Amino acid sequence: MGFRRIRVILLFSCWSVASAFAQSSAAAKARSGAESTIPQTTSAINSTTPMSERVVWYAIDAKYNPQNHQLDGSEVLTYRNLSGQALDRFPFHLYLNAFQPKATWIREARALGTRDMTYEKWKDEEFGSDEIKSVEVEGMGDVTGSLHYIQPDDTNKDDKTVIEAVLPRPVAPGESVTFKIKFHDQFPEAQARTGYKKDFTLGGQWFPKVGVWWHGAWNCHQFHATTEFFADFGVFDVKVTLPQDQVVGASGVEVSSVSNADGTKTLTYHGDDIHDFAWTASPRFRVAEETYQGTMGPVKMKVMMQPEHWSQEARHAKILRQTLEHFEKWYGPYPYKTITLVDPLGQEAGGMEYPTFITGDTSWWMPDGLYGPELVVEHEFGHQYWYGMVATNEFEEAWMDEGLNSYTEVKILDDILGKKTSVINMFGLTAGERDIQRAGYIGVADFDPMTRKAWQFASFNSYGGVTYGKTASVLLTLEGVIGEETMQKAMHVYFMKYRFTHPTKDDFLNTVEEVSGKKLRSYFDQAVSGTQVMDYEVMSLGSSNVNWYEKDPKEKKGETLYESSVMVHRKGDFIFPVEVQVKFDNGETVHEHWDGQDRWTRFSYLKKSKVASAEVDPEHTIHLDRNNFNNSSTRESDSTATSKLANFWVFLTQTLSQFLSWWVV
Amino acid sequence: MQEETGLLRAGWSAVRRNPRYLVWFWLLNLALAWFGTLALRGAASPILDTSLHADQLVHRFNPTALIELLSIPQSGSAAGWTMPSYFLTGLFAVTTLLLMPGVLRQYTSEYRVSRDEFFRTCGRNLWRYVRLALIYAVIAVPVTGLLFVIRKALVAFADKALNELFPVWVGGIGLAVIFLAATAIRIWFDLAEVDVVVRDQNAVRKSVGAGFRYLRRHWGRLLGAYVVISLLALIVLVAGVWLWNVLVPPSSVFGAFLIGQIMMVLWLSARFWQRAVAASFYMAEMLVAPAFLGARGPETGVAVGPAVPPLVSPS
Repeated sequence: MGFRRIRVILLFSCWSVASAFAQSSAAAKARSGAESTIPQTTSAINSTTPMSERVVWYAIDAKYNPQNHQLDGSEVLTYRNLSGQALDRFPFHLYLNAFQPKATWIREARALGTRDMTYEKWKDEEFGSDEIKSVEVEGMGDVTGSLHYIQPDDTNKDDKTVIEAVLPRPVAPGESVTFKIKFHDQFPEAQARTGYKKDFTLGGQWFPKVGVWWHGAWNCHQFHATTEFFADFGVFDVKVTLPQDQVVGASGVEVSSVSNADGTKTLTYHGDDIHDFAWTASPRFRVAEETYQGTMGPVKMKVMMQPEHWSQEARHAKILRQTLEHFEKWYGPYPYKTITLVDPLGQEAGGMEYPTFITGDTSWWMPDGLYGPELVVEHEFGHQYWYGMVATNEFEEAWMDEGLNSYTEVKILDDILGKKTSVINMFGLTAGERDIQRAGYIGVADFDPMTRKAWQFASFNSYGGVTYGKTASVLLTLEGVIGEETMQKAMHVYFMKYRFTHPTKDDFLNTVEEVSGKKLRSYFDQAVSGTQVMDYEVMSLGSSNVNWYEKDPKEKKGETLYESSVMVHRKGDFIFPVEVQVKFDNGETVHEHWDGQDRWTRFSYLKKSKVASAEVDPEHTIHLDRNNFNNSSTRESDSTATSKLANFWVFLTQTLSQFLSWWVV
Repeated sequence: MQEETGLLRAGWSAVRRNPRYLVWFWLLNLALAWFGTLALRGAASPILDTSLHADQLVHRFNPTALIELLSIPQSGSAAGWTMPSYFLTGLFAVTTLLLMPGVLRQYTSEYRVSRDEFFRTCGRNLWRYVRLALIYAVIAVPVTGLLFVIRKALVAFADKALNELFPVWVGGIGLAVIFLAATAIRIWFDLAEVDVVVRDQNAVRKSVGAGFRYLRRHWGRLLGAYVVISLLALIVLVAGVWLWNVLVPPSSVFGAFLIGQIMMVLWLSARFWQRAVAASFYMAEMLVAPAFLGARGPETGVAVGPAVPPLVSPS
């Protein structure tokens, strides 16, 4: 290598280092300047320092009229540009515009289905809107004229769920920009867990929310029928003014409540290290409060019940407290000072999560052995971890929130209510949450990979079955591979490492591999990224007397020698190693291991006993197998299950027959 | 109240004196339902009988295992399992229609009706009962349909109230009213059915008219008796389910079968009791009425067919 060349390289290196230093000090300078624009408050968390890299600060002043369900708001949004590049375009979510007949949300809901709405006939009460009246950018003037709707995901020009503001000059990296937005909301009759029902209001997705600069681009998807949300962490200071008779709950901590001369009151809330803000109001809420002593400090649990459900308040508070305990013990601390559990009016607003604020779902008739309320409360609280703090992109990787949450839901409900009884335990019916999750998955096993973007699933059923059910089943099966304790540790490490950071699929999968010390890519490729279906079967089993050719081959138990074989078949295209348990009629049990690489395998034995049964996965650690009935086979037939089913059916048919002849003849 | 108790007692006495009908109808009910399960047995047996996973349905009843069973292509469709039962349910109703004249002949007779007479009565009244059933449908379907529509509207209106329980109460009261109205119509036609048999009435419209008049005059007694019996049937349902839940281990198919069939027999008894109440009321109140005696003349003669024994044995 010549000297001149070395000198050029040295010079280039010096320039590069100097340049990088200059850039980083500029960024640091800008960042330190920006830090002063986002409050570093910690009054809503049990921590003396902020827990997230705060990107946004929303100061919202909203006036709500429960008579016409309209809200007028002014929003001051301070945004820190941590993108590393100058930004002059800012997209905003206007989620309430989804509830308009030509919106993408409604189109998809009609085509693919939703949880609780069919939209067969449009009703005016279902209309919702979030309209920006004006936008002013501090130091740049009014930019209202630059606003235009964009459709990043489809070509539906009628969709108004994302609007973009163009600034006259870019915001430099590290600098902050402040938007002053006037907006007007029309809440719809409750749907998709927002809106009003009678005197109840759930204010969810109600204010213009800026998109997330993520992986070098704006991530601000339209609102789809199957998608939820994604936003940056920051600080929320929200004032809500409404009639004095309203009982209000909201994200964050209540700072003040002031009665106004006009019969209204203004409640002020503050939230730290959260990425959304929701509130609820109704004059009829009955409220119970208690304090839970968390690992980081006290947590105020506020339970807001419909008066007709007040007898279930203790039930709701109990499962909330138990869930909090389990999450803190197994996955990590809950840092917020509050958690508000709302019992909404009607199912349309039930079962939803917002930061430090969740809705349950119950009915006046809910019996003790049906654990629907427990399931919903546990599930929605779990979102405080995976959606609230880890905060993955729910548009693009819904399974990382809903799926991981379904898995932890199974684990926690198993522990609290029992593996086989955590959903139903009444009148002889029993079902555990792991069974329910798997049942949701097996019907849609070969449609979509877990990694599919939420709005691109084949149907709402496939979205639900795969995102929730399959993910839970995949992780439960993984637990069988790496062990329950290791899996719990992996979840804990993942949570602690990635909370407040918006991690992706690989962050989670790498964490599991690192913690377990096992290479799991083959499993992840099939289970997470693929649509391979797992289905093992015991295809045949049998025993024959080795002396079958003798003229009078007498068989004597314990003395006759038999040649036995068990054939196991991999029917699906999912390759997974399995354990096989073979039992003989003298009580002997043999355990076999099969790597599952070939399509089938045969186990042969020469013993003085006949094979009695064979079972794939005898410990029942595989939850992904689509058909558990063919996982085992017995030599002797037992018709008890068939008879039991037939007996039920006889009873039902007789009842129907008698009912018919009672009234008709 | 005493009259109502007397009616109940007289009705129950008729049922008790003739247990063979209960046994026949129960066996028919059971046999048809059993045939209805053949498709289910054929589909489920190859999957369940040699699978250890079937234990999910034996030592407990895990509904997700049933969902899984239905999702297996080899098990066929749920419609394939259930359709035969729907047909056989209809067949039981038709058979009841066919055989009920014979039962009522017995309930209105003091002597034991022979098998021959039983079936002759059934055959003789077959088309009359079909016509009665059609008239019943023409009246009952619009009336109960209208009541259901009104109930739905009231529930929808009540649903505007803030109290979640208000529409539930309105709906419950609405169902009770519909039940009473449907029961009243049922009494009306039960009386008409008795009249057709006892008077050998070919003009069923006259029996319908007579049934209506007597229901109108004695609706309190009759409705009271029918409602009491219906409430007893409801108690049987609740007690049966409770016993099933408490006494029968999940794996005991025989225990469940036994409790279920006791319930079936008791439900059948309840309905036969109601019919016997109608028959007793008829014999006590309607048969002796002058208006009927006057109208009876030209129609009592058996114009065609074999001779029918005396309508009422001398007592």
